[in-house]
Amino acid sequence: MKISRRKFFAGAGAAAGALTTSGAGIAAAQVSKTPKAAGLPDVWGQDFLYQWSPPDNVKRDISPGPNVIRLSNSQDITNREGTDYAKMFQTMRDNGWTACEAASAAWLSRKMPDSEITEMKAQLKAHDVVFYNIHCAGNIIAPDPDAERWQRHIIDAYHSAEACGCRMILTHSGSMYPNRNTAHPLNWSKAAWERSVGALKNICKATAGGKVMICIEPVNTEAINNPWAMKRLREDVGDERINCGLDIQNMAYAGVAFRMTELLNTTFEVLNGMIGYIHAKDFVWDQMLPGLSWAMNGTGNMDYEVFLAHISKIPDPIMYVEFLSSPEEYQQAQRNIRAIAERIGVKIHGTQPPQQA
Amino acid sequence: MKKHVLVLGMILLPTLAMAATPDFSGSWIRNSTGSDPMPNQMYWVTRGAAGGGGGGRGGRGGGEVTMTVEQDAKTLQVSQSNEIARKYTLDGKAHTRPTDTGIQKAEDTAQLEGDSLVIDTAEPFGGMPGNAILKIKETWSLSPDGKILTITTTRDIPARHETFKEVYTKTQNQPGAICSAGCIGPQ
Repeated sequence: MKISRRKFFAGAGAAAGALTTSGAGIAAAQVSKTPKAAGLPDVWGQDFLYQWSPPDNVKRDISPGPNVIRLSNSQDITNREGTDYAKMFQTMRDNGWTACEAASAAWLSRKMPDSEITEMKAQLKAHDVVFYNIHCAGNIIAPDPDAERWQRHIIDAYHSAEACGCRMILTHSGSMYPNRNTAHPLNWSKAAWERSVGALKNICKATAGGKVMICIEPVNTEAINNPWAMKRLREDVGDERINCGLDIQNMAYAGVAFRMTELLNTTFEVLNGMIGYIHAKDFVWDQMLPGLSWAMNGTGNMDYEVFLAHISKIPDPIMYVEFLSSPEEYQQAQRNIRAIAERIGVKIHGTQPPQQA
Repeated sequence: MKKHVLVLGMILLPTLAMAATPDFSGSWIRNSTGSDPMPNQMYWVTRGAAGGGGGGRGGRGGGEVTMTVEQDAKTLQVSQSNEIARKYTLDGKAHTRPTDTGIQKAEDTAQLEGDSLVIDTAEPFGGMPGNAILKIKETWSLSPDGKILTITTTRDIPARHETFKEVYTKTQNQPGAICSAGCIGPQ
């Protein structure tokens, strides 16, 4: 599976044709517009101003793509013995969700019998729900021995995803601290980079021959925190199964908080062909320090029109709504997303129950 | 007889005049006991804060809210500390203005309807591109003596419908002093 960076990206078109599973098929032709430096272009006054305001001429292409977006949310598919899968998937559909994922710790806590996997797959098909991901909030560069434990966990999740027909697993590069949500001062050092590459090479080696995507979620606090790093990571690991679990909100910081349209455009261009699925959140900057606050989808700094337009242009798009606090908030988020999508002609799979008075 | 007509006229004329064109001009202070709690007007933050609204007027919460209204035959201007002044044309037609962010457009329609003023606004939530459209409807009405102003606001986006009421008392003070609502705090 190991290939050189140059060979891999030079032959990206051919590689895309060779990738036949639903997940890996997303890794289509690459666009090689390597910037001189990671970051958005200057606007004006760069010798004395941070470039935090958007330019006047931001390109906003809100033309809809051909693909229908499936929505999923944090109501994971669970691995509880005796689960009524028909009821579970019907409930998801009744609430407008047509895709689902599993949280890895709970999912791997029980070895699911083959007969149950067969039943689960049959009910997924019957209800037209896609089980696409095992979500590992991993920290594969944590201080030893945690890093090795996390890598083994990711490998276990990979094999389970293969068995269940999921197209991907999701992890993070992580932090040099045990808690990946705590930014370590050396997370962006060469040592951290090499640790990320090494960890993923270990995972790829242990899962060689598989077709499931190994998606990395870039996050501000972590070693991989922007689209350019994500792309370079794949090149350095040299395995086309490395893709991106895109959470563009997790890449937002003061410098781009008001330039999200541009960050969206750039990210979808840089990561063209390597986006496994997309997280849907929103944020505002409402504090003195550059602490961004969680906001209801479609009410904050994310340009949801441009966001949805981009998503509708990638194959088999799935959008994962997360980090809200109640079923009501998830329905509110879905209403905003569906309304914005309808406004620009983007299609969303399934239907949402009517709003209660 | 003439005396009776005069007295009747003194009673009726101001009432008729007010019914024809209510005048909201003056300085107003928000009455916290008669008003609903104000949500965050700028943002709908989902964690660590009460839900909010986006766009519209007022809503700093906690501090004293004062407002100055200047009205003539064709326009009404609203000024508040910590808020961008709004000027509405009272012709019932849609007028476009920049959102507070300066990067999107809002559309206001204002008109006097009987004893009330109705202001409709439509804008992307928070004034940011690509957002859900927020529709705000404010209905202003005065008490018979003109000293109490009640503003009922409804806000609709696809995700939520909400209504709240604000009650203002007319004051002789000029509340135009910057930061009268306590905008300067510990930094």
